[in-house]
Amino acid sequence: MKRKKGVSYAKYGYIFVIPFVIAYLLFTLYPTIYTCILGFTNCKGLSLTNWKFLEEDVFQNFKAILENETFKNDIKNTVIIWVLNFIPQISLALLLTAWFTSPRCKIRGAGFFKVMFYMPNIITAATVAYLFNMLFSYPVGPVNDILLKAGILDEAYQFTAYKGWGKGIVAFIQFWQWYGQTAIIFIAAVLGINPEIFEAAEIDGASSAQTFFRITLPNIKTMMLYTLITAMIGGLNMYDIPKMFLNGGPDKATETAAVFIYNQAFSGAYQYNRAAAASMLMFVVIVILSTIVFYLMRDKDAVEQKKLERQLQKQLKKSRA
Amino acid sequence: MKKRANPILMAVIYITCIILTILSIYPFLVMFVNATRNSAQVQSNPISLIPSKYLFYNLKVFEGKSFDPMKGLMNSFVISASSTILTIYFSTLTAFAIVAYNWKLRNAFYTFILAVMMLPAQVTAIGFYQLMYKLGLTNNLLALILPAIAAPATVFFMRQFMIPALPMEIVQSARVDGAGEFRTFNQIVLPIMKPAMATQAIFSFVASWNNLFMPSILLTDTDKYTMPVMVSLLKGDIYKTEFGTVYLGLAITVLPLFIIYFLLSKYIIAGVALGGVKG
Amino acid sequence: MKKILAILLAAIMLLGLVACTPETEETPVDEPAAKEVINLWSFTDEIPGMVTRYMELNPEFAEKYEVKTTIIATTDGLYQPALDAALLAGGEDAPDLYAAEAAFILKYSQGEASGFAAAYEDLGIDLSQIESAEIAQYSVDLGTRPDDGKVVALGYQATGGAMIYRASIAEEVFGTSDPAEIEAIVGGGSGNWDKFWEAAATLKDAGYPIVSGDGDVWHAVENSSSAGWVDGDKLVISPEREAFFDISKDLYDNGWSNRTTDWQEGWFNDMKGTSETPAFCFFGPGWLLNYSMHDQVIAEGAVTNGDWRVCTPPVGFFWGGTWLLANKDTEQAEGVAEIINWITLDASENGLQYHWANGTLNGEGGTKDVVASGKVMAASNGEVEICGGQDMFPAFIAGNAYANGKCLTQYDERINALFREQVTQYAIGEKDKDAAIADFKTNVADELGLSID
Repeated sequence: MKRKKGVSYAKYGYIFVIPFVIAYLLFTLYPTIYTCILGFTNCKGLSLTNWKFLEEDVFQNFKAILENETFKNDIKNTVIIWVLNFIPQISLALLLTAWFTSPRCKIRGAGFFKVMFYMPNIITAATVAYLFNMLFSYPVGPVNDILLKAGILDEAYQFTAYKGWGKGIVAFIQFWQWYGQTAIIFIAAVLGINPEIFEAAEIDGASSAQTFFRITLPNIKTMMLYTLITAMIGGLNMYDIPKMFLNGGPDKATETAAVFIYNQAFSGAYQYNRAAAASMLMFVVIVILSTIVFYLMRDKDAVEQKKLERQLQKQLKKSRA
Repeated sequence: MKKRANPILMAVIYITCIILTILSIYPFLVMFVNATRNSAQVQSNPISLIPSKYLFYNLKVFEGKSFDPMKGLMNSFVISASSTILTIYFSTLTAFAIVAYNWKLRNAFYTFILAVMMLPAQVTAIGFYQLMYKLGLTNNLLALILPAIAAPATVFFMRQFMIPALPMEIVQSARVDGAGEFRTFNQIVLPIMKPAMATQAIFSFVASWNNLFMPSILLTDTDKYTMPVMVSLLKGDIYKTEFGTVYLGLAITVLPLFIIYFLLSKYIIAGVALGGVKG
Repeated sequence: MKKILAILLAAIMLLGLVACTPETEETPVDEPAAKEVINLWSFTDEIPGMVTRYMELNPEFAEKYEVKTTIIATTDGLYQPALDAALLAGGEDAPDLYAAEAAFILKYSQGEASGFAAAYEDLGIDLSQIESAEIAQYSVDLGTRPDDGKVVALGYQATGGAMIYRASIAEEVFGTSDPAEIEAIVGGGSGNWDKFWEAAATLKDAGYPIVSGDGDVWHAVENSSSAGWVDGDKLVISPEREAFFDISKDLYDNGWSNRTTDWQEGWFNDMKGTSETPAFCFFGPGWLLNYSMHDQVIAEGAVTNGDWRVCTPPVGFFWGGTWLLANKDTEQAEGVAEIINWITLDASENGLQYHWANGTLNGEGGTKDVVASGKVMAASNGEVEICGGQDMFPAFIAGNAYANGKCLTQYDERINALFREQVTQYAIGEKDKDAAIADFKTNVADELGLSID
């Protein structure tokens, strides 16, 4: 029945997306197409005006990037750092969401804490990177001083020179900067759930854990999908902290794919064509991974949604088909 | 039915929250304290929490530069506020079009938005700059404001939020009452979306406020500098960086974010009795 | 709450409108007296400050010209892309006068962007002044375009390095703090490090590391190399630079350094003399002594003000510096030439460099710095408090003479970083030397598209 109604209003769908489409076409499409094209050219060097398409082998840049050991290493880094930061991040965010939305835990100062959790995200990456650099400085620096005084270390340790520590610290910074944002999104999503559902659960005598897993989680699934997708895209494009904290070091341990792309283009050789090719390849990787996530999440949706209201299910199916 | 959580759990919750709070506040304290110290003090003990007496000296150094921090704040504010409003409004509108209407190209359009969201940004920057240069929009704040209309990630967020939060019955009953579609959106959909909008407004404002790369290369006229650009110039004085002044710049940059955040956070925190049940 | 938000939003919108519209229309207001416009691009406000001062000193210039400055910081790598785009685009807003830093001067004077630069002589600048003002040769070398052998860039500051050492430690360990004698002990000007390492061993026995970290020696090693990193499109590792692997390892293992990193806490502590085992010396140009170290020695707890001396280092090098270039398409050749001449070549008491060397650009008592012109320095007073009243100029003039600008390439910033990474891995014992060198080569090839071997 709704479907029929929808059809008669279909033109509004087009009308309402016009501003988005115009702005996108004007400001984003050109740069994007430009990048695509560069990947197939010999555009190297400073002057961006003087390039032509590759004649012998159009995919030469793509092949060069695929054979590039550093690129492979950097993709591996990107994934490792992302996983190291995302798993604790989403776990903590969910935990906080459970605590802060549970009707049983009346946390005093809840508002204050929520404000605090988001704070790390409002400092610029450059500042954060610099502060952490100073925290771990060697042979004298706050972290070393504390560990020495506490007797945990016998002599100062050069954290930033060892690969494992480098990756770990970058992952920690990412975690610390983003868990608050994730928690806020979840909390906002929970607050968006119809309170009647919770009231019904309460009347049925559901425990906190039951309420959280059976009602809260399924209801914020769309938001979890959002978080997973955007965190993944953000994670695979991770640039600021890896670039500014140790400039990809030590020994390339924190160099991510995005830093690689930047270096191809701007660190002296001006290989715009290869940077563009690497961008396109990263794009393909991200699309594949995102499609997998969408697929997995959709599948589970279909199973669990039977328990949800029919209306909701219908809508979801329709919009995701 | 037990009314209260057990005390051990509450203790765990408070301890966790307090630790996280300390981790969150610490860098800000460092920033503000360092704004009162001079370069040598900052360099030889970068994260001390003992204030010093160089606040006015640092301020003087800042004011002695060829750019005006008040103007920087103003430019930053104009750009961030305008682009945030554009992003939020048009993203919600676009999401509404995707969620509420059944049009032929809807799925194609939605897939398209998801795809463009995934493009890495490092290299498209070259093309963007060239475009702005050709359009003559360099040194024009609009160059940083107008593109905000198309924010794929925000549209995605709004859509995800809207699906469970906006019952179609409401839209339909508005139609029955004879409201136009545009009015329905403005008067009924927008209020329901408030928590989502407040959330995204913060994210979008912060991102825009802290943005350094594009403003630095697009706004090269001293009068158009944003705050982060000024701070990066303070840092860029390679041979004689005044670190105290850099921190003062950072502190000044972050203060307005506090205000915006506290204003908007009430919206998220208050819970906003929505559910949208009332028409 | 709703009301507050509504008012806030309305206010923001209004502000947005008010602030946006007039600004876009304001730009074409160039009317007053129709001055000639010189566009100046720089990455700090140092040169713009000089130009402002010049206009104060020369009202007739200020009447004729208006200088529009664009400053973009080099931090975050933004200056070059923007400058490149502006040079490429040309036209009315194109830079007439632009600054380049040591890290990337070669790109603009000899590399890919050298085609944009105007030859000084074509602007009408009298180049015989290079000789009469005794401009440091390395500075001229770097500013000379190889295609036509013409000078396109010169600086005002000279950044030839000296060895800056602690008099009290010298007295204690070597029985003298006299620069000439210390110079002999460390092999100053010898072109190799042999005597320096002997001195390091002696100092170590007395409980002092000779330097703070391997970064201190690196600038000297890098700059005194017999070959640059790149020849054509091929990576070259000169024997001098390869030797840095072992230098760094020795510094690390033998206790010849405090293992610090430049610009971090431990490094600054050595400047202040507050480390457990204070370092004996630093290597650096005038700005390191007069700005960076000066800040530290006057800080609370520092014990080294007046205890520093300068002498010739074992090998010559330079570190940093700013060069000034003009656009070949500039329509203001005359005005541009006047500024360039005043800043880079004028060796008189009215020239910028005289003010710069004596710290008098903005009145008495400013920071004294080393300048490009030997003649100016000879006529200036280089006595500084940080060196206990020693005249710093002789050591730095020698430093400028030893420096050479022939082993630089436009890739240096990145290749240096990649190289130092591998050196560190070797020094801390994570890798053997062969593996480190192999990884270094792979990294350079992968990132910069250069060929190896």
